[in-house]
Amino acid sequence: MKDDAPSQALPDLVFHVLLALGQGPTHGYAIGKDVEEQSAGRLDPTTGALYQVLRRLADEGLVAPVSGPDDVDPRRKYFALTKAGRRAAAQEAERLATLVRAARQRKLYPQRA
Amino acid sequence: MRIYRCLLRLSPLSLRRDYGAAMEEMFARRMAEARQAGTSRQAYVLGRELAGLLVIALSERFGTTARMRRRRQQLLSGPKAGMMDVLAQEIRQAARRLVRTPLFTTTAALTLALAIGANASLFTVVYRVVLKPLPYPDSERIIALDYGIPARNLASGMNSMAWQLYYQLADHARLLEGIAVYDSGATTLTGRGEPERIRVTRATPSLGSVLRLSPALGRWFTEAEGVPGAAPVAVLSHGLWVRRFGSDGSIVGRSIALDGVPTEVIGVMPARFSFPDSRSDVWTAARSTRASASFLFNLNGVARLRDGASVESARAEITALIKDLSRRVPNQTGLVSAAVTLQEAMVGRIANALWVLLAAAGLVLLVACANVANLFLVRSETRHREVAVRRALGAGGRTIARYFFSESVLLAVIGGGLGLALAWGGVRLLVAFGPANLPRLDEVRIDSVVLLFAAALVLVSAAAFGLIPLLRVAPVAATLHEQGRGQTATRGSHRARQLLMGGQVALALILLIASGLMVRSFQALRAIDHGFDPSATLTFSIGLPAATYPTRQAAVDVHRRILEGVSQVPGVSGASTSTCLPLAFICFGNGLFVDGEAEDLTRPIAIVGFRAVAGGYTDVMRMPLLRGRSLGRDDIDRRESNVVVNKALAQAYFPGQDPIGRRIRSSRMGTPWLTIVGIVANTPTVAPGERAPTAQLFMPMSIAGGPDIPREALIGPDVTIMNYVVRSSLPSPSLVTAVRRAIDNVDPNLAISQVRSLQDVVDRASDQTSFTMVLLAIAATVALLLGAIGIYGVISYIVAQRTGEIGVRLAMGAEPRTVARMILRQGGMVTLLGIVAGLIAALAGSQLIRSLLYGVSPRDPIVFSLTTVALLVVALLACWLPARRASRLSPLQALRTE
Repeated sequence: MKDDAPSQALPDLVFHVLLALGQGPTHGYAIGKDVEEQSAGRLDPTTGALYQVLRRLADEGLVAPVSGPDDVDPRRKYFALTKAGRRAAAQEAERLATLVRAARQRKLYPQRA
Repeated sequence: MRIYRCLLRLSPLSLRRDYGAAMEEMFARRMAEARQAGTSRQAYVLGRELAGLLVIALSERFGTTARMRRRRQQLLSGPKAGMMDVLAQEIRQAARRLVRTPLFTTTAALTLALAIGANASLFTVVYRVVLKPLPYPDSERIIALDYGIPARNLASGMNSMAWQLYYQLADHARLLEGIAVYDSGATTLTGRGEPERIRVTRATPSLGSVLRLSPALGRWFTEAEGVPGAAPVAVLSHGLWVRRFGSDGSIVGRSIALDGVPTEVIGVMPARFSFPDSRSDVWTAARSTRASASFLFNLNGVARLRDGASVESARAEITALIKDLSRRVPNQTGLVSAAVTLQEAMVGRIANALWVLLAAAGLVLLVACANVANLFLVRSETRHREVAVRRALGAGGRTIARYFFSESVLLAVIGGGLGLALAWGGVRLLVAFGPANLPRLDEVRIDSVVLLFAAALVLVSAAAFGLIPLLRVAPVAATLHEQGRGQTATRGSHRARQLLMGGQVALALILLIASGLMVRSFQALRAIDHGFDPSATLTFSIGLPAATYPTRQAAVDVHRRILEGVSQVPGVSGASTSTCLPLAFICFGNGLFVDGEAEDLTRPIAIVGFRAVAGGYTDVMRMPLLRGRSLGRDDIDRRESNVVVNKALAQAYFPGQDPIGRRIRSSRMGTPWLTIVGIVANTPTVAPGERAPTAQLFMPMSIAGGPDIPREALIGPDVTIMNYVVRSSLPSPSLVTAVRRAIDNVDPNLAISQVRSLQDVVDRASDQTSFTMVLLAIAATVALLLGAIGIYGVISYIVAQRTGEIGVRLAMGAEPRTVARMILRQGGMVTLLGIVAGLIAALAGSQLIRSLLYGVSPRDPIVFSLTTVALLVVALLACWLPARRASRLSPLQALRTE
C-alpha cells in the first residue's frame, strides 16, 4: 500500500529516521542515537518502535537493508536510503520549508539574521 | 535478555524473522550502555524497552499499521464505529468502574494474583522438569538401561551395567544405534591453588554419539582414547572451566592434574550440559577392552534406540542378549531388562509429586475464582437497576455481556500480570529451597511456554468468574418493576452463591486432607528407626591421590593415622570410616557364595553391598549389634578375613540358620573365604524406611580394594575414597576446624569434602517429602483462608439482605438467639454439603497421592476426621460472626434500613 500523494506529511519519527540515514548506511543503534540527538531528546524511540518504523519503510521501499562491514556483530543490520527514500525526505523537507516561509511572511518567525 | 527474547516472540512473525536478531543486538547494546549509567537508569531503560516491545506487539497484532488506521478512519467517519474502538472504549470504561471501587478491585486482583502466581510457578517447574524433553537431539530415543530380577520380586531399580554386558549389547543389539556406560566418582584436582575434590564421570567415548554431544570448545573423546594405555584426556564442565580456569579460551590442549596424573584437556562442555547430573565437573574416557571386560555390575548405561525401535522391543532384545551371555558366562541369571527412556529414569520419581502439587495449585485457583465470582455476584446485585435501565434503553444481551465481561477480563489480566511477577519470585524460591535431589532443577526458568500458560489461566479464570454473574444478570429484565422494595435477593442468586460457598468448602477440605496426609508421612519418616544414630555426628569424605598413595597398604595406613589424630581431638567420643555411608546407595555390589553349599551360578543371588571399614565402624554409627561382635582395630591391623553382616543378609543367605562362624565369599571367581563374626541391624541404602532393606557386609579395609589391587582380584571396594564418621557433641564449626587440623598433621595436601552431619544426610533423603508437605500445607492454608473469607462474605451478605426481615422478626418478639440460630443453620447446611462433597472427592482421589505417602494410608481416618473438624470449626466461625451481628440488631434500626 504505497501512498505517493506529494502533500502527505511524513510522521515525525519517519522523517528523523530518513534524516539519520542521509549520512550514509548505518545500523539501528546508531539511527536511534542520531534521532535522539537531532530531535534534541524529544524523540527517543525504543528498539521495538524503531524497528517497526524501519520495517514499514523497507516495505514501502524507502529504505533497504544492506550488508554491513565484516568485522561487526553479524546480527547487526545495516540500512540505506533508496532513491524513493531520498525523494520522500526531500519532499518532506520541502513541505517544512514551505511552512517556515509562510510563517516568516506572517511574521510568526524571525527573518534570517 | 531472555525476557526480551520471550516478548519478542509475541511480535508478528515478519518483524521477528527479518529483524529479531538485530533488535536483540541493539537492545543488548542499549542495556550495556545503561549499565554504566547506574542501576536506576538500567531499570528505566529495561522497563521502557520491554513496554515498547509490548506496544509494538499489540499494535501490530491488532492493527494500527498505516493501512488499518486508514480503514479505521473510514469506519469512524461512517455510521458505525469499528470493533476495536468499541472494545477499547469498553475497556476504558471498565477500568474507570474498577478504579471507582478500589477495595473490590484490590481484593479480587490480589486473590487472583496469588492463585495465578502459584499455578504459573508450579507449572514452570512441572514443564521444565517433567514435560520438556531433555536437551539432547532426538532425546526421546535415549534410554537408560535398568534391570529387574522378577524371580526376586524386583521389577526394576538395578540400573547397573558390567563391561561384559556392554560389549554384548554393543556387538549384538540390533535395535540400539549406540550404547555407552559410565560411572561417577570423585577425584582430586591439583595445581593452581588449593587441591579440590571434584566429581568425575568416566564414560565410554560412545557417550558422545549416544547423547549427540557437541562440546563448546575442543572435542569429545575418540574411540582410540577409550582403550588401556591411551594418553589420559579430560573434558571440563562449563562450571569448572569458569570457576577454576577463569574461562580461559586456550585451555584446550593444556594439562591438568587429576589424582596426580597429568591429563590433557581436550574440550569444554556448554553451560547447559549436565550429565549424569549437574554436579559433574569433569569427564574422562573410561578404558576397557573385550579381553579384560569384567562381570562386575558397577557401571551405569544409556543407549540410543534406532529409528522406529520402541522401548519395549529394545527391552525384549536386551533380555534375550543377557540370556545368551549367561550361557557363556554362567552368572546373573534371571536379569530382565527394565530399560526406560532417560527422561523417565531421571524425573519419573519426582513427577508424581510435582503433578500433585500442580493439581493442588489448580484447586487453589478454583477457590480463588469462586471467591472473586462471589464478589462479582455481590457487585452485580447492586447493578441490577443500572442494567435494567440499560436494557430498557435498548441495550441487547451482547452489550450487557460485554459490559460485565470487560470487567472480568481486565481484572484477570491485572491479576495475571501481578501473578507472573509473583511466579518469577516463586520460581526462584522453589529453585533455592527445592529438594537437592530434584533432577533438572538447573533447567527451571520462566519461558514463553509458561507465559502462554499464564495467559491461558487468565482467560480461563476470567471466563470462570465472569460468566457466573452474567448468567445471573442477563435474564433479569423485570428488575425495574421490583423497585426499591426488592431487598431480598432473588432465589437464583442465592443458589449460585451457596453453590460457590459449598464448592469452596469442598475444595479446601481436599487440600487440607492432602496436606494432613503429608504431615503424617513426614512424622512417620522422622520417627523411623534408621538402624543407626544420626545425632551428634560429623561426616566428611577424604579421597587419596593415587600418586602419593599408590598402594592399599599406604591408603590403609594414612586412614588409620588420620583416625588416631581425630580421635584425640578433645570432645570426640569416637571416629571411624567406611567406603559407603547409609543412604549412599549400594556403592559396591556383588553376590555371595556360602561355604558348604553348592556354588550354583544359575540360581538367583541376592546382591550384597560391600563396605570396607576401619575398626569400630558399626559401634561409632551405633548400629545395634544383634549377635556376635563388631570388627575391631585388631581385625584391620592383622588383616583378618572376618566380616560383620546385616540382618537382611542373614535372612537372604541363612534363612532359619545361625550365620555366626559360617564362611562366605564374593561370587567373583577365586576370591578368598570370609568368616562371619557378627550381625547388625539393617541400615537404609536409598531412602529412609525403605521396604526392602539391602543386604550389606562390612569387611576390614585392609583386605578390600586399593589402587594396586587389580580389578579382577577385587574382593571389596577401593579404600582410596573413605567417608569418615566422627561422634562428638561439639558444635560443628569448631569440630570441623579441629578435625581439619588433625588431618593437616598427617598430610596437609588432603582435601576433605561433603562435610555434614549424618542428620543432614537423613534429612536430605527425606527432602522430597518435606518439600511436598510444605507446599501442600501452603496451598491448604491459602485455600482455607480464602474459603473462610468466602463463607464470611456470603453469610454477611445474606444477613445484610435480610436485615429488613430480621427486623420484623425481632419486632414481633423473636429471640435474638433464634435469629442467630436461623442464620447459622443456613450457613451450616451449605458447609455440611460442601464437606460431604469434599470427603467423597478426597476418598475418590486418594490413589493419586498414595505413592507420595509413607507409613500412612491415603484414607487415614485420623487425618480425615481432624481436618473435617478443623474445617467445620473455621466455617462455623465464619458463619457465626455475621449471625451474631444479625441477632444484635435493634428492631427499629433494622426496619429503618428499608
